[in-house]
Amino acid sequence: MKNEKYVLTRRDFIRGTIGTTVGVSVLGLKWPDAIAKERGTSLVTVVRNKNAMDSSKNVDSAIVKKMLDEALVKVTGRKNSKDAWLSLVKPTDMIGLVPTGHLNPTHDEVVDAVKSSLMDAGIPRDRITLAQGGADAPKECTALIALPALKAHWLTGIGTVLKDYIMFSGSPSSYHKSDSAKLGEIWNLPFVKGKTKLVLVDALYPLCDKGPQPDPRYKWAYNGLIAGTDPVAVEAVGLKIIEEKRKTMRGEPWPLSPPPICVEAADKVYGLGTSNLAEIKIEHYGWDKDLLL
Amino acid sequence: MVQKTLILLICFSFVVAFFQGDVVEANKIALPKTVGDWRRLEPPRIIDSSNIFKYMNGAGELYLGYRFKHLEVFDYTDENKNNILVELYFMETPDDAFGLLSLDWGGEVVSFGDASENGSKQPPASPVRALYGAGLLRIWSDNLYARVMALRETPASKQAVITLGRAIVANRKSPPEPELLKALSPHMGSAWKLRRDRVCFFRSYLVLNSNYYLSHENILNLDHATEAVIAPYELVSTAGDRKRCQFLTVKYENHARAKKALDHFRKAYLPEYKEELSADSNNSGPSLFKLEDGWLGYQLMGRYAAIVFECPDRKSAGTIIENNQNGLTRNQ
Repeated sequence: MKNEKYVLTRRDFIRGTIGTTVGVSVLGLKWPDAIAKERGTSLVTVVRNKNAMDSSKNVDSAIVKKMLDEALVKVTGRKNSKDAWLSLVKPTDMIGLVPTGHLNPTHDEVVDAVKSSLMDAGIPRDRITLAQGGADAPKECTALIALPALKAHWLTGIGTVLKDYIMFSGSPSSYHKSDSAKLGEIWNLPFVKGKTKLVLVDALYPLCDKGPQPDPRYKWAYNGLIAGTDPVAVEAVGLKIIEEKRKTMRGEPWPLSPPPICVEAADKVYGLGTSNLAEIKIEHYGWDKDLLL
Repeated sequence: MVQKTLILLICFSFVVAFFQGDVVEANKIALPKTVGDWRRLEPPRIIDSSNIFKYMNGAGELYLGYRFKHLEVFDYTDENKNNILVELYFMETPDDAFGLLSLDWGGEVVSFGDASENGSKQPPASPVRALYGAGLLRIWSDNLYARVMALRETPASKQAVITLGRAIVANRKSPPEPELLKALSPHMGSAWKLRRDRVCFFRSYLVLNSNYYLSHENILNLDHATEAVIAPYELVSTAGDRKRCQFLTVKYENHARAKKALDHFRKAYLPEYKEELSADSNNSGPSLFKLEDGWLGYQLMGRYAAIVFECPDRKSAGTIIENNQNGLTRNQ
């Protein structure tokens, strides 16, 4: 009986023993608590502007650019966006932008704002490329900027930051079932590890249920950008916003199903950052109505 | 009767007036070339299980979790590039198409046969076959599940979406809901009541998990040969307190498979209880356990496995299983 595989179930979540059981059952790995203890606080910046989209959901590019500049300054602590970028990347880097390609994609206006902001900072146009795709895309880059759109996902609970690199694995469908908790391992592939300089989540018009297929009933104008250098912390903040929106929508607790264990696994098993909101410093700027944080 | 006929005639006239130009036959579904200000782009995209992930990434697992045959995708656009997307999912059986609609009963009920039902937010007594909300129309029509979605909702786009829905269901059969639903007891006296608006029919553990998370593994041996329903029962006290438990039943190909699956479930979900199910477990009462989130009960009933989760007490767990037993055994 000792050799029987431990199966992760609903009961583990209720008991609060998810941490260790994810490691030994779903992932077949030990749960290195030490990683979490060595870390400091992660900073996540949320910038919102109620005019970022109009009533028809058209995005105002100029406002998005301002929001991006503000986010960059706050995340890095530098005095302007140029200095902020140059603290994250070098002009000699080949910088890959990784937006969500389709199914609630990242708004073009967000991608364009990042491109133009990088060029304003002195990064040559030919050093900026779109890196969404297979395993070859990140291999050609020395720096990556993750630009996912915020959305719930019916297979993994959330399908935003960690899922943004799924195509880099070369076998995305292998992460659809019980291995969905292992999304963090993609970020540790040799040609991906350490390259991500900034995570900027497009939270202008998020989706809080039924993703990745678009369902307009569950989309709302949050009009925000979420930024940070810790991918797990940024994911955890996006997750919190989605969970709070669901609660508001139904007027009662409406937990994500399945639970997004890939987020905690990215922290505790893969050491990519912190998933514990108590260890995340969230700074908010701009429009604060229905902040959900 | 005269009034009903008149309504149908008006509806038909409206459809004729709204459609202009040619129609295309999509597996016997006549989609108009134009609808209002929208013009259909050619040709439709045909998606099957070999390329579904390319079209919709991980969402494809949802459709593969049912008995999926193929998908036809039509795009309509107006001069302002406001698009309407029409997705026609052809499934092997009406039950599979019903299952996809049953994932979410939210929205306004749309009836293409009885105008009096349109716009109602109350679950009607007859099966709901179409629901509309925020620009998205979802339809169960025979073995077809359809999504018609205006990416930008306006009064005109809603009219176009409903018109397209009417064209999709025209001349198609309206079979009843899956048999398994009929077996569910609607209430237990004046106490526990079935939430009809949360009943979900499925065949895949991934779909179960998206509705009610059980395990990252397939611990109930669900596959395309099984039929399953999960539905909450609610108890509202006179003080307004609400208690809810989840009732899950699975129909297997035969008793042996049901027994094997329930044994698998017990080992994975209740590892501290080692006892195997006896061969004649279906003749005894439900097995009941006090767990972290309340009482769990299960019972094998011929080719059915019935499980109830999160009951507030032992008696409720037993009652819900036993009250559903009659319906399930009648359906053997």
